[in-house]
Amino acid sequence: MLSERATTLQTTNLWLIALGAAVALLVVLVATGTITISQRYISQMMIGVSVAAILVIAAVGLAIIFGVAGVINMAHGQFIMVGAYTAAVVGQLGGNTFVAIPVAFAVVALLGLIVERGIIQWIYDRPLETLLATWGVGIILEVLVKVIFGPELYYVGAPRMLDGGIRLIGRLPYPYYRLFLIGMAILMLAVTFYLVFKTNFGLKVRAVRRNRAMAGSLGINTARIDMLIFMFGSGLAGVAGAVLAPIKSVSTTMGFSYAVDSYMVIVLGGVGNLLGVPTGAFIIGEAETLIATGTNSVIGKLLVFVFIVVAIRIVPRGIFGYQERR
Amino acid sequence: MAIIRRKFLKRSAATLGALAIGGAAPYVFSRNIAKAQESDTIKVGILHSLSGTIAIIETSLHNAELLAIEEINAKGGVLGKKIQPVVEDPQSLVQVFAEKAKKLLLEDRVAAVLGCYTSASRQSVLPVFEEYNGLLLYPTLYEAQECSKNCFYTGAVPNQQLDDFVPWIIETLGRKKFYMIGSNYIYPKETNREVKALLKKFGGEDVGEEYAPLGHTEFSTVINNIAGSGAEVVFSDLVGDSIVAFYKQFKQFGFTAEDLPICTPITTEQETAAMGPENAVGHYTSFNYFQTVDTPENQSFVERYKAKYGKNQVTNAVMEAAYFQTYLLAQAIEKVGSTDTDALIFEGLPGQEFKAPQGPVKIDEKNHHTHLWARIGKAREDGQFDIVWTSKDRIRPDPWVDYLYPNKDCDFTDPKVMERVKKPWREEKNRSGTIDL
Repeated sequence: MLSERATTLQTTNLWLIALGAAVALLVVLVATGTITISQRYISQMMIGVSVAAILVIAAVGLAIIFGVAGVINMAHGQFIMVGAYTAAVVGQLGGNTFVAIPVAFAVVALLGLIVERGIIQWIYDRPLETLLATWGVGIILEVLVKVIFGPELYYVGAPRMLDGGIRLIGRLPYPYYRLFLIGMAILMLAVTFYLVFKTNFGLKVRAVRRNRAMAGSLGINTARIDMLIFMFGSGLAGVAGAVLAPIKSVSTTMGFSYAVDSYMVIVLGGVGNLLGVPTGAFIIGEAETLIATGTNSVIGKLLVFVFIVVAIRIVPRGIFGYQERR
Repeated sequence: MAIIRRKFLKRSAATLGALAIGGAAPYVFSRNIAKAQESDTIKVGILHSLSGTIAIIETSLHNAELLAIEEINAKGGVLGKKIQPVVEDPQSLVQVFAEKAKKLLLEDRVAAVLGCYTSASRQSVLPVFEEYNGLLLYPTLYEAQECSKNCFYTGAVPNQQLDDFVPWIIETLGRKKFYMIGSNYIYPKETNREVKALLKKFGGEDVGEEYAPLGHTEFSTVINNIAGSGAEVVFSDLVGDSIVAFYKQFKQFGFTAEDLPICTPITTEQETAAMGPENAVGHYTSFNYFQTVDTPENQSFVERYKAKYGKNQVTNAVMEAAYFQTYLLAQAIEKVGSTDTDALIFEGLPGQEFKAPQGPVKIDEKNHHTHLWARIGKAREDGQFDIVWTSKDRIRPDPWVDYLYPNKDCDFTDPKVMERVKKPWREEKNRSGTIDL
């Protein structure tokens, strides 16, 4: 997407410069002691990073499917849920999170393949119908999992070696598991970047994304690219389920809240550039934690939603908006 | 063609006729549904969601009630008749609860209904029970401040879980500074109001109060707020998924029960299993019943439940209430010798006693709630609770606690109230037994 810079420079750059300037000003003010931030807020900001990491983990699969194949996968939350249940099964068979990650990736990628081949491939050009169809898939998955596993909450533990935490600043230790989640978020983004920008496959993906008809007429099998990307994005959702299960709860209805968070990240960040995901996640994660520190979680969530609505008014395509060539 | 058309006409006429009768039926039976029942069984409605979001817990209530009915029938039934359960599944949808309740009362003409779990579902069916003069037995702990002629409440009200719990935390645990965290809806808010009143009374201190949206699973901010508040104990009224996420993250941020115990009137054996017992160890729950209660009645209840529904099943407080309320109903029918609703409401059920798994329980003579035991459990490594304190006697239910509502009470023996609830429904729509003193 490097070549797109020219078209998106104006809007994106303005926002980036504004954001960067604000952060830089804050850092300078704090460093010089002009304003003092209490330790509580600093530790809260660090926790906010882990919240942002969780958002990245949840949203990256959705973003890549939306960005390349143009499908808003309404079953994304349920894909995460299937990943979490996979982790629960792996756990009962004696494996830990590290084992669960590849297994969940494979299981949910396969699920993605079935959904794509069975349903989505026939309706790519009808966005509204893909919305409805994937919504339906989500409901089916929820009921299926409930039939198989029963309605009770499932237990997934964290690996022993990630117990405990490291004392950084403030009263609270920083849990190792949250550091692991930050690492996972970076890893998932890095793998995606590598795949899209450094491989031959990624070149084709970018070509399809830029101009589907042209790419097709140059001999790229666009349907196959769509399928693989759908599988990859689904697999990432599975990984998200597997790594989030140990700190959250595992139930058949867990998908919904992740789906909402992921859509927010994408709406705010934009899908024109993969940087949109971490940017959106970082803003939402930090805003939510910092607002909730002074007030409470209900107001935190509310104000973040208000903020996003306003942001959409200003940058309808997200911070990294992408001007399509039609 | 002509023949077919004639057939069609005949059929539609028949259908229309049936519809007309069906439509009129509620009018015929509405005033007097309980009198019927000349058959050889006594029908009892079971109204718990077997599908949908709250099916997890409601299925277990359904199971406990069916177990009790099976046992009662094995011992010869009631009045020489077998109890016949009529099962309906309201699918966790509030509006379906009301529909199904109406169906049970008008079509099946059940003697009573055992059912509902959430307050929302109870409130949606209550008008139906009041209009058609039915009888509902409700097993869940709830926020109280309600009183209906047609409903008996066999779960705990806040005073039965809190009045001893809060002083116990202050005096026995020696922890005075409370941080309250709850899910954002009525039950936690009402509970915390009562906790705050008790804190004032017993010299505790409220250092923070916070609510998270229902289903919230990200508690890092809350935990940081708690750490900064100087709290000595966390009082949690979180429900559902949030409980599991909160306990897990609480431990991951380095808190142990020795530093900062979580005390709650909600977390049961089911949640400790779902979060992994290592995350619950040492935290406290106040309930009238735990699976580990040491009474012969409980041992046999747990055994029979596991024998019927599987070895891995856990019993919890709401199930236990569902179980014993079935017995209370059977005894009440036996006592008045009929299934007449008013007879059951005014003579059969009030004062009715039963040796429940938690110990002997009794329905209050006046307010339709139930005298229950109070216990405090400390979570163990196997997900069960060690009972560290048990009340000396049953605790009287008080839907309007004196220290918050000094001028309100609920009394169905008061002549003024009786005069009101006996009026036809159209004249007195609210059949509550509340009196303002």
